[in-house]
Amino acid sequence: MKTYDVVIVGSGAAGGTLAAHLARTGVDVAVVEGGPKINTRSDFNTHAMPWEFANRQIPRMKAGKQGMDSERARGLGGKSLTWNAVAWRQSHRDFKGKSIEGAGEDWPIDYPDLAPYYEKIEREVGVCGNYDGLRDLPDGIFLPPVPYKCSDKLIDNGARKLGLRTIHVRKATLSRPSFGRPACHFCGNCMAGCDVVAKYNSYDVHMVPALKTGKLELIPNAVVREVVVNSDNRVTGVKFLHRETKAEGEVSGRAVVVSCACVQSVALLRMSKSRLYPGGLANSSGHLGKHFIPHFTGGVEAFLHGLKGTPLKDDEGFLDHAYLPSFMHERKRDYARSFGAQFGYQNRRGVGWARDIPGMGDSYKQVVKANYPAFVVFSPYGEMIPNPKSFIDLDENRKDEFGLPAARRHVWWSDNDKKIFADMQHWSEEILRAAGADILQVYKEPRTNHELGGARMGSDPKTSVVNAQCQTHDVKNLYVVDGSVFPSASEKNPTHTIMALAARVAENIADRMKKGEL
Amino acid sequence: MSSERRASLKIIGTIGATCAFPFAADELYAQQEHTHTEGVAAQLPEPKYFSKEDFALIAKIAEAIIPTTDTPGAIAAGVPAYIDFVVSRSEPQQKLFKDGLAWMKKHDSKALTKLCAAVDKGHLKRPEQRWFKAMKNLTADGYWTSKAGMAQTLGYKGAAILAEYPECREH
Repeated sequence: MKTYDVVIVGSGAAGGTLAAHLARTGVDVAVVEGGPKINTRSDFNTHAMPWEFANRQIPRMKAGKQGMDSERARGLGGKSLTWNAVAWRQSHRDFKGKSIEGAGEDWPIDYPDLAPYYEKIEREVGVCGNYDGLRDLPDGIFLPPVPYKCSDKLIDNGARKLGLRTIHVRKATLSRPSFGRPACHFCGNCMAGCDVVAKYNSYDVHMVPALKTGKLELIPNAVVREVVVNSDNRVTGVKFLHRETKAEGEVSGRAVVVSCACVQSVALLRMSKSRLYPGGLANSSGHLGKHFIPHFTGGVEAFLHGLKGTPLKDDEGFLDHAYLPSFMHERKRDYARSFGAQFGYQNRRGVGWARDIPGMGDSYKQVVKANYPAFVVFSPYGEMIPNPKSFIDLDENRKDEFGLPAARRHVWWSDNDKKIFADMQHWSEEILRAAGADILQVYKEPRTNHELGGARMGSDPKTSVVNAQCQTHDVKNLYVVDGSVFPSASEKNPTHTIMALAARVAENIADRMKKGEL
Repeated sequence: MSSERRASLKIIGTIGATCAFPFAADELYAQQEHTHTEGVAAQLPEPKYFSKEDFALIAKIAEAIIPTTDTPGAIAAGVPAYIDFVVSRSEPQQKLFKDGLAWMKKHDSKALTKLCAAVDKGHLKRPEQRWFKAMKNLTADGYWTSKAGMAQTLGYKGAAILAEYPECREH
């Protein structure tokens, strides 16, 4: 059996970026992915309409196409196939929250450590955005931004009345043809899977070009159930089950990177029990699974007065075009950390709100029609502070189709989280009111999104799982690279930071390979 | 994944609106009262779950909720078949509709109007109220996601292919 230099488990934004960066430098890489190969140009129901289906639910995959079955078996490209592509750089404030405010945890790295890698990613995948000069949301290398929607302009007017500002969203979606990929055609279906690869996905943008190096092998349909560690405290590869046949298989490597998207990375390490690590691989600290800090979102649904009864336009765009950057850090408040807000990222195929427009008959029909162009969802995202009651573990009593224990999320909101939630809902409503809107609904409960933490990065092996290079403290040739390593969450969508980390780790692994350390 | 699904369900979900109830459909509704269900049945496909008679009654109520105007109403949009499909796959819905159909057979359209108003005010204690909520939800879902409802009535073309995103000049 071939022994690869590096075996990467997972092929999403983290695994795909790492694979390409390593293969380009001549490192022999295998990517082991639970799901099948997916062709984003043909396999998704990107442009489908609800009336094409008896139950009016648009299935993710076209009939007869496989993929995106479960968290353990998505497909080559992972969640990057269906993400919304928002791409922020984190700032000093995000990396050093504890030093600045005494809440959460500091990263062992700071913005200058990651800035060159953010730039590297922007130069190879393409990020559109505006140069805003904000201290807490650093600018990068941008393609031109995409214009505001009319709803964005109305909301920006509202925000300005309150002394706030919105900015153009920054997305890893091409606003101009670049890198041999076409520009976005603004069909409004980004999260259904982009059929032209204007939106970044790790398979088409990173892994496919890297196949030309001859150094990258893709192993789809392989659900990894264990990372194997030997008696010398070195990992030697992974064991997997075939997605369809459930047949056992193995892949050997001189180093292993776990990049299964936060919760599944923690689950895989916890499943990898051995004599050396009875409580899960790389868990001598007992911190594996702890400090689970997903973003929490709120939401306000509204109808903007300025758009009621106006002629409908083809303006779904690439979902959200504008963003409300965090502003509370500059204001007096009774909590630590902050929130930002996306808005208008619903598309027009969702009309569930029409259920609860009162009445029936002709007038009901007319009211729905008038409100249709005016419907908007405002979605703030808050930073969760780590707490002991929020963690990831395995539910040994609940097995999935592969006979593997299900990953279990425990989430408990602290007073600080509740205060942020209440305040972000308050501001969302105020901004919409200032913009001129009928508020339909203010979501009462926080919901999790953007899963982070569980294998956090830190300098102290007693309180963290990986070091500043995402190398586990316990096992020198084992790495974890994805959202699980975040010691603090910030309020910013995390994928750009995950990709920058992957690029940085790839450089570190390649260096150590050259020096013979792995 | 599950949190994404919850979020999208929520977005397709609910609005806590009060009942203003401007009811302009009385006239049309009155006309329908004199329509025999046999006439309605002729426009309908074969039901999978409901009896033909019940299916025609369901269609009549759906059409009362979203009538034909200058654009198609619920029947032309295929809403009855959608309701039949959903109810055929859900035992809780079957129970609601059993109660609702029994109630409808004893009451007229005026009572239905009153029932709608009560449900809009949030009254959901009585079986027929819970049924009407389900009936309205299914009619709305079925209609607004149909080609007639979404494309013709709302004007959604969908999945536009644009070379440039247009600047908004109005606001």
